[in-house]
Amino acid sequence: MTGPSHPEAARGCPEYAELSRRGFLAASGLAAAAVAAPAWLPRVAFAKDYRSSMRDVIISIYLRGASDGLTMCVPYADNAYYTLRPTLAIARPDSAATDKATDLDGFFGLPPAMLPLLPAYQAQRLAIVHACGSTDPSRSHFDAQRFMEVGKPDDPTLLTGWLGRHIANIPPMNPSAVLRGVGLSTGLARTLVGAPDTLPIVNLSGFNLAGAQTSRTARRMVIDSMYNGTVDPLKAAGLTTLQTIDTLANISFTTYQPAGGANYGTSSYGTSMKSVAALLKAQVGVEAVAIDVNGWDTHTNQGNVSGTMAALMANIAQVLAAFDTDMTAGATQPSYVVVVMSEFGRRAQENGSAGTDHGHGNCMLVLGSAVQGGQVVSQWPGLAPGQLFEGLDLDVTIDYRDILAEICAQRLGAPDLSVIFPAFTPTFRNIVA
Amino acid sequence: MPDATVMGRAAPALPNPTEAPPAEHRAPADPPMARRALFRFGALAAAWSSAKAMATPPQVPADVEPNSLLVRLVSRLTMGLTTEELALANSLGYQGYLEYHLNHTAIADTALDTMLADQVRFSTLPMTYEQMLQVAAGQVANECIEAAVFRNVFSKRQFFERMVEFWSDHFNIDIAGERTSRLKPIDDRDVIRPGALGNFRTLLDASAHSPAMLYYLNNDISVAGNPNENYARELLELHTMGADGGYSQQDVAEVARCFTGWTFWRDASGATAGTFRYNQVVHDTGQKVVLGHVIPARSAAAGIQDGLDVLNILLDHPSTANYVSKKLCSWLLGRSTPQATISAVAGVYAASAGDIKAMIREALSANNLAAAEMKFKRPWHLFIHCMRVVPTTITNTSQLRSRLITAGQPRFGWPTPDGYPDHVDYWVGNIMPRWNFGADLMNSNQPIGGISVNTTGYFAGLTTAPQVVGRVNDALEGGEMPQGERTLLENYLQPTPTSVTQQREVLGLAMSSPSFQWY
Repeated sequence: MTGPSHPEAARGCPEYAELSRRGFLAASGLAAAAVAAPAWLPRVAFAKDYRSSMRDVIISIYLRGASDGLTMCVPYADNAYYTLRPTLAIARPDSAATDKATDLDGFFGLPPAMLPLLPAYQAQRLAIVHACGSTDPSRSHFDAQRFMEVGKPDDPTLLTGWLGRHIANIPPMNPSAVLRGVGLSTGLARTLVGAPDTLPIVNLSGFNLAGAQTSRTARRMVIDSMYNGTVDPLKAAGLTTLQTIDTLANISFTTYQPAGGANYGTSSYGTSMKSVAALLKAQVGVEAVAIDVNGWDTHTNQGNVSGTMAALMANIAQVLAAFDTDMTAGATQPSYVVVVMSEFGRRAQENGSAGTDHGHGNCMLVLGSAVQGGQVVSQWPGLAPGQLFEGLDLDVTIDYRDILAEICAQRLGAPDLSVIFPAFTPTFRNIVA
Repeated sequence: MPDATVMGRAAPALPNPTEAPPAEHRAPADPPMARRALFRFGALAAAWSSAKAMATPPQVPADVEPNSLLVRLVSRLTMGLTTEELALANSLGYQGYLEYHLNHTAIADTALDTMLADQVRFSTLPMTYEQMLQVAAGQVANECIEAAVFRNVFSKRQFFERMVEFWSDHFNIDIAGERTSRLKPIDDRDVIRPGALGNFRTLLDASAHSPAMLYYLNNDISVAGNPNENYARELLELHTMGADGGYSQQDVAEVARCFTGWTFWRDASGATAGTFRYNQVVHDTGQKVVLGHVIPARSAAAGIQDGLDVLNILLDHPSTANYVSKKLCSWLLGRSTPQATISAVAGVYAASAGDIKAMIREALSANNLAAAEMKFKRPWHLFIHCMRVVPTTITNTSQLRSRLITAGQPRFGWPTPDGYPDHVDYWVGNIMPRWNFGADLMNSNQPIGGISVNTTGYFAGLTTAPQVVGRVNDALEGGEMPQGERTLLENYLQPTPTSVTQQREVLGLAMSSPSFQWY
């Protein structure tokens, strides 16, 4: 085993005794796991009352910068779309163009760059929600992200994230878990703020203290005692970090083989999601994951079937499709739900820089084992001049909180939605079973 | 003498270690680790400090130990306290030390000047854009970042560098990318650094004319008829009025019209390449209304005045005074700065027509600082501080830059125009790279390529564990390391407190300690 050895515990450091206990738990599962499991599986066996089947793990993907939902899921049957987007529109499915939309339901279509997700849609594991988003009218990235992530518009006093409060409000899915939430980022996304046992970890592999190996255990004891002696949030961050070393050390992220030949590609988002798949299959008790994908603020040269936007879409489509394959093709199939969202959509009319300015309504993607997929859920408001929000943008007819609240209630075991989305009464849209 | 009614107030609010979390998320029993608590530890422990003569006793509330306030002042004004800076503060007193740093051009900086004069390492710093085009973009960016490392670690003008960091966030431009790799270093050299302790009006004007900013926020291609709103919106939201400042989407659209044609000479323009250009051909000549002010229709040739009018409207707006003051107070004092303090600074902004030094003097009164919350060091600040407290030689910053990425704060690397966050909730969880920087910096094998630390003589004559830890405490925390941390470090040194390896490890552990994460 790679966990701490016992002589240090004998020095009488109580914090260390706690660490050693965890190390012992990890070791006790070693023999059982080693028999049947592939090499990448963690040599950890947690308590019998692990209840993964009762709740989904949620992976919250945030497209920072305001993604153009009118390109990600094309309302090709709305003629106004082609008037507003003379150079940026994706051609109708029935057009003679080579690169064009692929029909989903007679009204919406996927652009070529998103086609890797068509199998998941057809297998009814992917749903798209359109004309969706935050009803807050702000076109500020930073206000809109903040309000969306805290789960309440225009409330500067609310500091914790919707998902952070959800995790804080329910008992752990796995009572032995040391890490319940993780952000694959260098700073904790607002979405997860407030969640206990939650860290931002940009690289799950090789998570350990640096410095001389010979003194590592002794230095770890000092750090542990120092952080035991301080207060939150630093105390919690320090102690969770130390405990997470052992959890992650037992998972071989670098040798992890995705199921079904899933190819995550080489983008940082792909690398992150591949690690998340290994983490979920390891069943160490992580309940919530947050990942950011940057670069969606396409004010200029946005492109349609090629260019900036197409590259951004191709990346998330490939990675999400790989994740879908990986999680459904193998022997280990954790129960999960992925939600993809952005702070707002983009201006219905393209600007003079072959790009789009800040807009309002957008689309969300929901992918997972219990998703009612194969549908575009929408109350389409239309893109004609009299139908646009403030005369400019796609309107929001479905509050993003409807979708998240339904997932929290139906798939994440949330006992009280008012904690997650204060002062809001959600309408469930039958997104998940 | 201080005003008794102010100084004698019985119970100033306890400094808050973080932005206040909702009550249900508070740690139930732990008291906040207020800086006040550290003061007490410091007062008990730091015998040397009481022996220091104080040239000018600062104006301090009765319940704050004077030396502790100086420790805090040094920590707030510098990229990390050192014994030299604390000694200087002790000799100059509170106000004297603040004025010393505000008058930054009077501080001789010969050691740094010599380093920056290395024309191989820093060949691109003085270049024009046209000259930079002859150099790989990555090299230009890396030299700019490397210069920032040297300035922050080695400059005597420490507060000036703190303010450069502040304005680099306020007028954030991501250096990543072919064009910004060259334009951002010019913005740093010609806009941010000259203006960091100058006048906000001048600074905003320079930023609005900066090719880096106009390119980063797409104003360079904003044309009449269908303008690009990106710069206009961030000018209002982030640079001047704030998101709650009272402007509308219509104002954003009108401001965008006013700035049509503000661009820069492109790469093939010869000697003028990379300089500001007003391209009247694409300017919107019609009348605009911004925040109720009518900006009249003007000829294309005279149309640059539209943008200049907008800047003046914004600079004179009370929302700008408040928003800029709030951000400045947040930087210097913390996010829980009372509105009364912010308003006082905003009053100075209005009265002094944007004098940044005057605003800082108002914000950084001894009373305000004594009542301020602790701030959490961002990764850049922490790493720089580590290198300032031990004799450090830097020959190459590539591995340092890579570690800053892992820690979350590559210099000039924040992608969005709001600048790096400055609150503990965002940074606190990613603590492993912070611990490991200190551990690796002090590792005798020197695993951080290009950076070496020489501790020969650092502990000369010190033979007991308390002596060694006392030296660490003085060097890193001005004598204010909590007793609990000191005891743990003393125990770690046993049974051989003179072991060089263990002494270095204790320095690394002290850099990883909870108390060292704050300032």
